[in-house]
Amino acid sequence: MDFRDTMQKVYSWACQIGNLGLWIIWLLIHFAVDLWYFALHIACAIESYLISSGILKRYKALDIDKLRYLAIVIESEEAYHIPAVIQLLQWLVDIGVKHVCLYDAEGILKKSKESILGKLNNATLFEEAGESNLLLDHKHITLEFASFPDGKEAVAKAANLLFMKYVKLGGSGKIQEEKIFTEAHMSEALRAVGCKGPEPDLLLVYGPVRCHLGFPAWRIRYTEIV
Amino acid sequence: MISSLSPQPLIKPNTGTTLSPIPHVQNQRFKLASHVCPSELLSIRKRPGSACAATTQHRRYLLFPAEEEEEEREVKFTSDAPALAEELQRESMPRHVAVIMDGNRRWAHLRGLPVGSGYEAGVKSLKTLVELCCKWGIRVLTVFAFSSDNWFRPEVEVEFLMSLLESGVKEEKESFIRERIRISVIGDTSKLPKRLEELVINVVETTKNNTRFQLIVAVSYSGQYDLVQACQRIAMKVKDGLIEPNDVSESLIEQELETNCTEFPYPDLLIRTSGELRISNFMLWQLAYTELFFSQSLWPDFGEAEFLEALKSFQQRRRHYGSGGVSSEFANSCYVVYIELFFAQSPRPDFSEAEFLES
Repeated sequence: MDFRDTMQKVYSWACQIGNLGLWIIWLLIHFAVDLWYFALHIACAIESYLISSGILKRYKALDIDKLRYLAIVIESEEAYHIPAVIQLLQWLVDIGVKHVCLYDAEGILKKSKESILGKLNNATLFEEAGESNLLLDHKHITLEFASFPDGKEAVAKAANLLFMKYVKLGGSGKIQEEKIFTEAHMSEALRAVGCKGPEPDLLLVYGPVRCHLGFPAWRIRYTEIV
Repeated sequence: MISSLSPQPLIKPNTGTTLSPIPHVQNQRFKLASHVCPSELLSIRKRPGSACAATTQHRRYLLFPAEEEEEEREVKFTSDAPALAEELQRESMPRHVAVIMDGNRRWAHLRGLPVGSGYEAGVKSLKTLVELCCKWGIRVLTVFAFSSDNWFRPEVEVEFLMSLLESGVKEEKESFIRERIRISVIGDTSKLPKRLEELVINVVETTKNNTRFQLIVAVSYSGQYDLVQACQRIAMKVKDGLIEPNDVSESLIEQELETNCTEFPYPDLLIRTSGELRISNFMLWQLAYTELFFSQSLWPDFGEAEFLEALKSFQQRRRHYGSGGVSSEFANSCYVVYIELFFAQSPRPDFSEAEFLES
């Protein structure tokens, strides 16, 4: 019996030591993983700082060919920080982005477009740029400025245009209606009222709320939104 | 030069960590919750999730369900007062949630199952979501079931989807009536098979007076189509002399959109599953101020935990909106442009291919 008791005691000690050992191993693994992610975050922060300060130019190797048109949505309160916007645009020029559309709901960037264009070299308005210029200069960037009226109001204006056309044609039958009111006709009408911009490939949203704040919706069917 | 500020992500993950320069940043942003809401008042059973293996037998079982498998067949509701998860605030709940149910085919492909199994599993996810919305006081749910672009998919797949829609509507019709759920369908229903179109009209008509909850199913729908059909309707009114062409305004267009069939036509929250970051021609006009939430999980795996995460994200954002101090966030987030562009892999897809292959 004594031997049995002793064995049981030894067994329970062994279990306790084993549990303690496993717990320590688990803590060490947890600590190692936490340390790894901490180091990763620090490295990321340092890298971001070095890239932003222009010391590390990793973006030179970026393949930006897929990004034909970039749109940036800025919340109106933040749009007042024009120097920050200009800095952002300068970074985009360095990366090699060619076409950018800047949007804010209240049109603050539109009002400041002269000063923005003035501070940036090799920047032209999208409406004024000819296609031949764009391919030659790597550092050239075209800017489009948009605001809330370029979204829903523009669609209403385009619809008015189509209605006027419809009324002129007489609207005799159903076939007539179908020919005027198609998606292609709406796109054409939008171009006619001045919303000529292409569909962006990527839409970056800066603001407290993750939504596009009224960016011209007709153009963002398949746009990646980040 | 801003030197002392660390980069902060545009979309802050719930863990509050910053982005790291590794691919698939989204995986870090959208960390899936690993737990099910512990609320004891919720009667929703945990979905089988990835354990759900639909086979051809399962397909037959869906069409002719066995009575003992009630958890997978009928929409279950309790008549208790809505029991909200602890992490959520009732006053900040969205009134209208829209969902792009993406990832069914990928889900099936990952499991070596036929594509149809993915869609069937997706139907179960939808039922779960409807239950949750009813319980948590969300008044309207809009789901993007079938896009206009999807007509270009293989004919067999399209026919299967139509038959799945038909069987789903038939099976759930009684429970919708019993639970006072209103069904609305938006989209070009003239392209649907005749039988399905008649069934849809019948269900919409039968449930039109229900007020507890509204489920809007977008079938053969696209955002541009919605705008164009609104213009066509207005054109008819112009032709009839009811309005002048110059009187057409945004509000008039809004009234004629198909989504005007509800008390809350604009979604507060849009959820897209499967990690894609696009709205894919869904409710273009209506999403101007909608919170966008892109979930990494595939639609059949989207359950209560993932929905909770979306709602928590929505509520956190809503709380911060309008508060001061965002200027430094913008300045910080400029740093993030490099990282986001670094991994901006996806071009705008050729819509004839990428949209079909994305699942």
